[in-house]
Amino acid sequence: MVKIKKRKLGEAQIPTSSMADIAFLLLLFFLVSTNIDVDTGIGLVLPEFVPPEEQEFVPLSKDRMAALLINENGDVLLDGNIIAIPQIKDNLKVRITEKIDLPSNRKLVVSVKTDRRTVYNLYIQSLDQVKGAYFEVWEEYAGAKYGKSVRDLTPEELEDVRTKIPIIISIAEPEKV
Amino acid sequence: MKFKKKRASVKQDIPTASLPDIVFMLLLFFMVATQLREVDVLVQFSLPEAEFIEKIENKRLVSYVWVGRDERIQINDSIVRQEEIREIMYRKRVELPNVIVSFRVDKNANMGVVTDIQQELRKADARRINYSSLLKR
Repeated sequence: MVKIKKRKLGEAQIPTSSMADIAFLLLLFFLVSTNIDVDTGIGLVLPEFVPPEEQEFVPLSKDRMAALLINENGDVLLDGNIIAIPQIKDNLKVRITEKIDLPSNRKLVVSVKTDRRTVYNLYIQSLDQVKGAYFEVWEEYAGAKYGKSVRDLTPEELEDVRTKIPIIISIAEPEKV
Repeated sequence: MKFKKKRASVKQDIPTASLPDIVFMLLLFFMVATQLREVDVLVQFSLPEAEFIEKIENKRLVSYVWVGRDERIQINDSIVRQEEIREIMYRKRVELPNVIVSFRVDKNANMGVVTDIQQELRKADARRINYSSLLKR
């Protein structure tokens, strides 16, 4: 009898050891080309546009208003008095804090006005101070009432903080030149 | 005397079969997080710095306006004239009702340009804005 030799099958395999290398290469490419930058900045909502002929003059009592004027020489005036930019925050904080318990139609309004030739950076620095004043008052209020930081507040509590201390920044109507 | 080399009796290799899977997982993350299309910024600018800044959570809502140090205005991919802003922004606003307009303005620019753009935005009723600035350290 003839012995029929069974042919042994070679194991069919795809070498996978280099797969990791290929994947790493791709990974590196995407690592390098990714930029996860978060946009940061000072948020604001502009007032609604009202045509000049329909504009009404709404009188605001003096103590509700904090008028911030940044003129073209780089002077910053708060209610007509020259003030250094880093002082704006503390100055406003006092005025915001004393209005916490007043009804919503008597809260502080910060009006920011600039000249056409004011440098943008100064405007941002001043606006930053105004925002900073509000944020710090928020923080103090949240700490006193809820005993936690604004960041940890529940949505309802945050809503309360927002209604008690609303950020009202008004961008003054530009003057026609 | 014959010395026998000591060897552990167990197999000594690290299983690498799952390595590609791990790497692919990382790869997928970065592929999703990457956005390759960047707008060519045609104006030169350096952003101002501020302390009390907020993050824009939703990047999809953001639409940029660049103002360079030579006070040219760029929206999307091209330099635009001031009169065109209203039309462009109005269209954006129709597409995306709660669009946030991010101002990327050179810190030495004059407020005049910014004020003009803001007036146009108000007319186009795209009123949510954000002055892009870097964190002051």
